[in-house]
Amino acid sequence: MSSFLLEIKGLTKKYSAGTIALSGIDLQVKSKEFIAVIGPSGAGKSTLLRCINRLVEPSSGSIEFAGDRVDQANARELRRVRSQIGMIFQHYNLVNRLSVLENVLHGRLGYMSSIAGMFSRYSEEDKKKAIALLRKVGLENEMYKRADELSGGQKQRVGVCRALAQQPRLILADEPIASLDPKSSAVVMDAIHRNCAEQGIACLVNLHQVDVAKRYASRIIGIKNGKMVFDGPPEALTDHHAALIYEGKESQMYQQPVGEEPQDRRYA
Amino acid sequence: MKIPISHKATRRNQRWFFAVMIVLFVPCAFYLKLSYSQFADGVGRIPDIVKQFLQISPEDLPVLLRELLTSLIIAFLSVVISVFLSLLLSFLIADTTAPNRWIAKGLRLIVVIVRTIPTTIWVLLAVASMGFGSMAGVLGLLFPTTSFLIKSFTAQIDEAGKEPVEAIRALGGTWWHVVFNGAIPTLYTTFLALIAFNFEITVAETVILGMVGAGGIGVLLQEYISYYEFAPLLMGILVVFLTLFALELMTNRIRKRLARGAR
Ligand SMILES: Nc1ncnc2c1ncn2[C@@H]1O[C@H](COP(=O)(O)OP(=O)(O)OP(=O)(O)O)[C@@H](O)[C@H]1O
Ligand SMILES: [Mg+2]
Repeated sequence: MSSFLLEIKGLTKKYSAGTIALSGIDLQVKSKEFIAVIGPSGAGKSTLLRCINRLVEPSSGSIEFAGDRVDQANARELRRVRSQIGMIFQHYNLVNRLSVLENVLHGRLGYMSSIAGMFSRYSEEDKKKAIALLRKVGLENEMYKRADELSGGQKQRVGVCRALAQQPRLILADEPIASLDPKSSAVVMDAIHRNCAEQGIACLVNLHQVDVAKRYASRIIGIKNGKMVFDGPPEALTDHHAALIYEGKESQMYQQPVGEEPQDRRYA
Repeated sequence: MKIPISHKATRRNQRWFFAVMIVLFVPCAFYLKLSYSQFADGVGRIPDIVKQFLQISPEDLPVLLRELLTSLIIAFLSVVISVFLSLLLSFLIADTTAPNRWIAKGLRLIVVIVRTIPTTIWVLLAVASMGFGSMAGVLGLLFPTTSFLIKSFTAQIDEAGKEPVEAIRALGGTWWHVVFNGAIPTLYTTFLALIAFNFEITVAETVILGMVGAGGIGVLLQEYISYYEFAPLLMGILVVFLTLFALELMTNRIRKRLARGAR
């Protein structure tokens, strides 16, 4: 058993189409770390995150989470591991027809039996905690609205609450702000960052924007062509490094700066 | 010279299509011995038949209504049972929720085979093994109805996408959670509309299938036809028409309301 919360060794993923999305990734994550994963489109960022909770099956390598070998886990063990890892998606992945509160309560399903979950028998304790989470992100008035009645930024805050409801030890966020405008992006990133810091949750967040990564992360990882090409504190990521990571794809580097209007929208 | 405007290949295809149709029509007409004199005879008899038909009699109405009720009940029972069977099977088959790829493939193949056999054959098979009556009707309708629902349900499940389903899986939910908490709430209204539509078709089918011995109002209609009792036959046809018409209006209404509620 290692002293790390998450330890990845030699992780390789080859898709059946023949694409080698990841080759030989080594990564150790300590608890409470807030790690931004940057890299150009198609670098393998999503694949890396999805291999950790095995939404995508790794081809080879080992993944150890809190002392459990995720890559060797059977169905039951995998469920237990997943219940301790929250996930936030670019497209929110909420159940649209259900209420906001129900979506947040889904975070508890990993700890419930099939029957209890199917009939939505959440404990009053869980409900209270879910409401508290919603209040914290400013959605207490939207609690009983249908998830598809919310704006994009609100939906993603529900996604964040659902992940937090799991009381996870690790959160995986795959481009949580890529579909949002700058203002909502800042709100969502703040919500993720603040809650992770307060509750000592480690976080791996895929980002397209280097400046956002630098603002929030305690550590930055650069991925290019399925290989890790940078690993260090944000201060160490110079423009020179960033240029190398995005070499040939510079245009993707500074999309949607958070907290300020993009140039072309200012007069729109 | 005039400037051509159509797409060349498309035009060529169309010409071929019509040429082949005409060339095939002539031998086909001879094969079936379609003769003009028979046609003319038939047309000549039409006024006579219409006259007989017009002596519509409400005498048999009570019997007709009772048998109509039987038909509706046969349709209802087979749809309800089919809904249960197909709900379970659909989630085993649909790409986004199938727990095992090979089981899914096997089930999909069975559904295709069941669907290629026409409903009438299923009912005849059921009649052959169960004897005439409602039991054969319900049993015979079960196969085509279930396979129809499975096909529609799985298409909708796949259509709905893997996103909510993936979220439930990622947070450690079981297969039952994925289905009941992720997929079914998303698809609920779509499924209800499909079931209403399916019920409508099944009622129409029950009427026809009664004629091959599956019970219900079709049996009665079949008897009238074989004894040339046109008066009660017209009454029966009228009853069937009104029922199907009312049903169609009703299901359309349900579907519209569901579609509105969906957004
Ligand atoms: N399901 C899949 N089947 C086959 N190839 C895939 C699949 N998913 C991703 N890939 C390929 O794997 C590579 C890495 O993809 P991945 O989605 O991990 O990149 P990414 O860094 O997340 O990119 P983006 O920033 O655009 O989201 C790409 O070349 C992609 O085409
Ligand atoms: Mg991605």
